[in-house]
Amino acid sequence: MQRRWVGKGIPSIVAAEKVTGKMVFGTDFALPGMLYGKVLRSTVPHARIKRIDTTKAERLLGVKAVITGADCPEHKYTVAGQPVADMTILAREKVYYVGDEVAAVAAISEDIAEEALELIEVEYEELPAVFDPEEAMKEGAPILHEELGSNIASHLDFVRGDPDEGFASSDAIVEGHFETQMVHQCYLEPHGAVAAWSGSGKLTMWIPTQSATLCRMTYAKALGLDPKDVRIIQLPLGGAFGGKLEYKLHPIVALLAKKAGAPVKLVNSRRDEFLAGTPRVPMKFYVRLGGKKDGTFTAKEMRIIAGNGAYTYYAPPILVSAATRHDCLYRIKNIRTKAWAVYTNQPATSCFRGFGNPQSHFAFESTIDMLAHELGIDPLEIRLRNASQSGDVTAHGWKMYSVGLTDCLKKSAEALGWEEKKKNKKPYRGVGIASCLHVSGNRSFLPFFDGSGAMVRVDGDCHVTVYSGEPDVGQGLRTTFAQIAAEELGIPPWDIEVALVDTEISPHGLGTYADRATTLGGNAVRIAAMDAKRQLRETAAQILGIAAGEISFGDGMFYSSDDPERKVSLAETARKASYLRGGAPIVGHGTFIPPDVVMIDPKTKYGNISCAYPFAVHAVEVEVDPETGNVKVLKFAAAHDLGYAINPLASEGQIEGGGTQGIGYALREELVTGSLGTENASFRAYEIPRASEMPEFVPILVESNDPNGPYGAKGLGEPALNATAAAIANAIFDAVGIRVTRIPVTPERMLNLLNEKLKTEGKPLSSG
Amino acid sequence: MSKHSIMVNINGSDAEYEVDSSDTLLSLIREKAGLTGTKQGCNTGECGSCTVLVNGKPVNSCLMLAVEADGAQITTIEGLSANGLHPVQQAFIDAGAVQCGYCTPGMVLAAKALLDSNRSPSDDEIKRAIDGHLCRCTGYKKIIDAVKIASKKLLEEGS
Repeated sequence: MQRRWVGKGIPSIVAAEKVTGKMVFGTDFALPGMLYGKVLRSTVPHARIKRIDTTKAERLLGVKAVITGADCPEHKYTVAGQPVADMTILAREKVYYVGDEVAAVAAISEDIAEEALELIEVEYEELPAVFDPEEAMKEGAPILHEELGSNIASHLDFVRGDPDEGFASSDAIVEGHFETQMVHQCYLEPHGAVAAWSGSGKLTMWIPTQSATLCRMTYAKALGLDPKDVRIIQLPLGGAFGGKLEYKLHPIVALLAKKAGAPVKLVNSRRDEFLAGTPRVPMKFYVRLGGKKDGTFTAKEMRIIAGNGAYTYYAPPILVSAATRHDCLYRIKNIRTKAWAVYTNQPATSCFRGFGNPQSHFAFESTIDMLAHELGIDPLEIRLRNASQSGDVTAHGWKMYSVGLTDCLKKSAEALGWEEKKKNKKPYRGVGIASCLHVSGNRSFLPFFDGSGAMVRVDGDCHVTVYSGEPDVGQGLRTTFAQIAAEELGIPPWDIEVALVDTEISPHGLGTYADRATTLGGNAVRIAAMDAKRQLRETAAQILGIAAGEISFGDGMFYSSDDPERKVSLAETARKASYLRGGAPIVGHGTFIPPDVVMIDPKTKYGNISCAYPFAVHAVEVEVDPETGNVKVLKFAAAHDLGYAINPLASEGQIEGGGTQGIGYALREELVTGSLGTENASFRAYEIPRASEMPEFVPILVESNDPNGPYGAKGLGEPALNATAAAIANAIFDAVGIRVTRIPVTPERMLNLLNEKLKTEGKPLSSG
Repeated sequence: MSKHSIMVNINGSDAEYEVDSSDTLLSLIREKAGLTGTKQGCNTGECGSCTVLVNGKPVNSCLMLAVEADGAQITTIEGLSANGLHPVQQAFIDAGAVQCGYCTPGMVLAAKALLDSNRSPSDDEIKRAIDGHLCRCTGYKKIIDAVKIASKKLLEEGS
């Protein structure tokens, strides 16, 4: 079917606001009479708080409120859907990491608030601390949350098929140990929020958030309020990447505003971000993989030890994701997995684009290359032999309606020049390939609900506004939703507004994570637009005096199917519809509940968690500098099965941006933390990729047309970096014959590896 | 802290401001002049989000004291579109170079400054010009495309 507005790479409908500086971001938002907040953070990694004295701070001219743990509700809370409540809004008895929130101040300026922080006296009784999750699991390790009895925040243990039999039947078995690091999302806009209380005790918060719904749910619990007394208004986000879900800054600013009796704004400094953000969950992997001579995978075993950090945010479901998803890439039936998320005296780890998958794909896709090497099979070939196919039900019970993995493998390899580069190998250069998959919505994220709602409002002037509960996080969701409504209503997308999320107005939507917004939210918007059109068609039927069923629609006109000259425009129909309803607008409603998905079994983690699974393959060429150890990505071909590209321009942007984050993850980025907290807490010390470092980038869109996606569309944003680190590690092996087991592969680490190899082999490196 | 009275021209209008000796140009622009198009990303001169043009040259406004700007001509992102969108702004839209948009004002101004002095920059020259500007969303490719589109447009216009 010919489509007019979806499938077109139209520029963002809100880009003009952004290029002119008119867009009001979270950090730009202000209210009259607003105060400015700042947070005092723990300077020690683990301690009892013996005394806090805020007297001097309270006396400072311009200070309007000082709060400590004593001003916070006593009960503990956690983020939405997680079983273990282990946080208070500010520390009450103990601090658990350097950066932990101890006190906060609201003053008439940020400078005065900062000055007041220095006047707060805190006396700590230091306790032994632990930073390595594997150490934290051991008998005798310091326990963070004594009431929980151990440092284990979550534990998985499951078996599929018969792994022992699988390994016994293998022609080759390889084993690997891999480590991944903590990295920060590094959205350019730091966390921030404004809070204000009404005279009747109702809280309103303006937050640049990925999920107004989760914020309301969690902060109502944290503050001991009825959710109906909490209103969250989403502001445009200057980047999120998983890092802008629930965050302690938000309830802190609410408490400050309450105590000060005035609106308060609180914005993190970049140092606050690096010290006390919610970085990616670091993981250690022990992997075994068996295969037959022909490359068929026979069995896989994996142990994962993950750093949960000081509090439980989303590390437990991230661990489930890391432990299961990559198993569904290939037809592998015999699996044994054990995994732990372990408390450490470090920042609470949580969501970052990929949700555990960049970690586990690095480990698993590296192990696959080791097996390919052992069996003498080309890394591309071994993946093609095992790749999941449409219609498969995987070892974890996932129902794969559309699988474009084989296409992605072939197209990325072709675009990179795999065959040619393998044949004509150049010194210190190598090629690597890695696959990944993701979800489009994760049913197991929250026990009680998944789905998305939308409203499409058409007023008497035929002005169309889309309301969804899923926020645009900068990836272009508002444009996607406008295109979908445009397609159904025959109006150009730039004439359609897509509202920011407001919990008082917008339909319920869990938010923009788990690659769910386009697939679930997009379906809901499409259904709502169709519902609006159905209502308009009924009015057109009244105007034309013919039955609604005999009316066709095209080019902005309702017309008689039998006599196209009998017609009325959409605009005229909208006007008439509004008059007929006493001025009320047409409101189309849409809901989408992902079909055929289940809450996974709490013990075995078995079950179909998503209605559509996107796939991707990254193929890269790297060059290793033997003098400096610097690894440069020369070419990057990324083929993504996104189901259907509603906006190819924005889709390419997701792939290029995600891949670039993947390069940073693989080669540069690492939060260096320990007893002093984050030691590299600035963009100078924590390097993210810059323009000059970018490779030749080839984004490839593979359309497998998923039956559950809107027009066939699946998720895209997260897989955009899931496979990158593995592809780069595999390319390094191809270049210099060194199996990288720990990321990031900084020049220093690479040089050490090169020198070790030189020592063991006693001759200059023959470049792979 | 001492107070100073300074005169700056922001986006074509002269104005007098009372500033503290420690105030940065960024705080002057955002808080005193109320122009929030200039973004604060790090406040330590490491991300480029706060870039404005001072006498035509790109500057991290978080690193410059307000008093140092006394007598200067400042162009912020709001000053670029007085007569409709500047070709660089239009090119950023058309190329898909804008995702979250937080780095965009700084990037656009850096690109404008580059094209003002070099109408047809090479890829390397573009990368150098924006290398101090961090973008976490786009991977830079479409930003580089945008600068090339703008370059072409400006050459065609002969302006």
